[in-house]
Amino acid sequence: MLLVALLAVPLVAAALLSRASGRVAGVVHAFAATATSALALTTAVVVMRETSVEALEGFLRADALSAWMVALVGGVAGLASFEAPHYARGADTRRFLPFFHLFVFTMLLAVTTDDVGFMWVAVEGTTLASVFLVNFERTRASLEASYKYVLICSVGIAVAFLGTVLIYFADVTRAGDVEHALRWTTLRRLAPALPAGVVEMAFVFLLVGYGTKAGLAPMHTWLPDAHSEAPAPVSAMMSGILLAIGLYAVLRFKPIVDLAAGPPVARRLLIGLGLASMSVAAAFLWNPHNYKRMLAYSSVEHLGLVSLGLGFGGPWGLAGAMLHIANHALAKSVLFLLSGRIRAAYASTDVSAVRGLLTRLPVSGRLFLAAMLALMGLPPFGLFVSEVMIFGAGFAAGQIAAAVTGLVLLLIAFAGTLNALQRMLHGNAAGRGVEPHVWASAPMIAALALLVLTGLAWPPGLAEALAAIASVIAP
Amino acid sequence: MSALTNFLAFLGLLTTLLMVWRQSRPARLRLLVVQSLLLAAQAIAIAAFTGRAGLLLVALALILVKAWWIPRALGRMAEGVPRRPVAPGRSAGIRLLVSGALVVVAYALILPVSARSPLPTRGGIPLAFAMALVGLYACVTGRDAVGQILGFLTFENGIFALGLLATYGLPGLVEAGVFLDVLVVVLIAEGLVMQIRQEHATIDVDRLRELRG
Repeated sequence: MLLVALLAVPLVAAALLSRASGRVAGVVHAFAATATSALALTTAVVVMRETSVEALEGFLRADALSAWMVALVGGVAGLASFEAPHYARGADTRRFLPFFHLFVFTMLLAVTTDDVGFMWVAVEGTTLASVFLVNFERTRASLEASYKYVLICSVGIAVAFLGTVLIYFADVTRAGDVEHALRWTTLRRLAPALPAGVVEMAFVFLLVGYGTKAGLAPMHTWLPDAHSEAPAPVSAMMSGILLAIGLYAVLRFKPIVDLAAGPPVARRLLIGLGLASMSVAAAFLWNPHNYKRMLAYSSVEHLGLVSLGLGFGGPWGLAGAMLHIANHALAKSVLFLLSGRIRAAYASTDVSAVRGLLTRLPVSGRLFLAAMLALMGLPPFGLFVSEVMIFGAGFAAGQIAAAVTGLVLLLIAFAGTLNALQRMLHGNAAGRGVEPHVWASAPMIAALALLVLTGLAWPPGLAEALAAIASVIAP
Repeated sequence: MSALTNFLAFLGLLTTLLMVWRQSRPARLRLLVVQSLLLAAQAIAIAAFTGRAGLLLVALALILVKAWWIPRALGRMAEGVPRRPVAPGRSAGIRLLVSGALVVVAYALILPVSARSPLPTRGGIPLAFAMALVGLYACVTGRDAVGQILGFLTFENGIFALGLLATYGLPGLVEAGVFLDVLVVVLIAEGLVMQIRQEHATIDVDRLRELRG
């Protein structure tokens, strides 16, 4: 029931918002966003207590891994929904708010269905629901970004479909016409008996396909365009959580391939793609000229880091990677939301156009500084802890070369980003910025406070939750 | 049964290679129609031999969506655009050679997999896989929007054929989702391509160069 309600709220909201406008739309939007976030957190709490919940005869199923993602979608969508009304005014609300909630619905569906075939449909649905949002401003640049986005992600996801067909093939040739052959729980049960060669090949296709959605290099080429052209609340959701859903899909297949073909297969591929992504990102971040693209490439870097952590494996690697997904979601969504305010104040997304951010926008500027420091992995913020966990796992697993390379790439990105940040914060204040009321920043302050919490003192239950997720991913 | 399904899969690959070879857009659109009809025939053949009535629905959906609605949408996108790419481009010879190489690669990759299949349709699996790979290649190297989307659809058709031949099709709910997905992708692409034509007066994707770095 809980899962059905969780999915029904954003879907119904999207339907209502496609008809509503003005004040009614604002109320429906606020109500739906609050209800979605509340239901997402409830789901997480219930799953923590009962290890998993099911609905519709097992078609929907949330275990610890799903619940973690559901909570993140709820949190990031909640954050973004506060800023969304500033972007969609008047007649434009109908081009924005319905797709906003439809987008949230597809993301929640992707992480709560037990059927990996239907998960594929939902993940492709995330692209189709968000492409209208990317092209919201209808400029030449946003049009180009949307076209690239829909084409590259659809081709990528078709590759993942090829992988899904091969997994199904392995499944039915081994087990015959089993009921619910594409359910994850079925695959997990049959995994040790599945033919290694077929599953291995399927996993390569799945990783390339869903890796495209996760923005892993070299399939990341759509990402900087789409993330920088979309309105800020949409960028926040795309960078903060949609990329992680691509990795989530890969994670569903990791235990299958580990059981069928042995752990080295997934390990090598994840470490390789992780390092490739971090290299591509470091090359751009060394001297970024556009701050929205800087944030987008930083997402490539962090998802690469997560992939590295998943490849290193072990309890620390897996827990570190999952924690890093959450930390990155919080920091990056706050940063993208702030980038929208900065753009409104300076009417440009060039780093060189932004001067004296701290004096021009005192609250947003300080928040931007704090969130950037968090993103760069400085203590006391949570990203520091999750990065230590990931690299600790690398050294513990004897992957010295990969871990050292990763650290060097991280350092390069760090130096370049810090330089760009310095240039934006200080100097004579240009632009004509109006700071929104302090209360409007309260959700972002709360998100940063949460990051300090994951960095300094873990709230009760976090360690248990991460351990529960690791037991889902590791066979 | 094997002979018929193998032959249909072979014809499918043949239409794909012809699509790579032909330069004229209307001809390539007609090839897409033929290819989708062959896929529908494949589904009907398997339905007839195995008694799986669900596949008849799949065939009907293939005819309506992929052989009728989508080619019309692609035709609308390219209305009034020159029938061939204007600039004398790369010769089709090299593209055909690469496609031929991809067929060999497809066989090398998939034979160990298809050998495991107990189904009488297994002989067609490498042909379908080759069709998918050549479609992917055509999509990646497509020079205009319609060419890229054609490649994508061929890729999708190849995967679909693979699913039919290797497993007699996926569960109905997933299959329905896939059709809906292709339909919406083409619908969205049509909207975007129409906007691109308004802005740039072309469907040549090399002209999209606002975003760099």
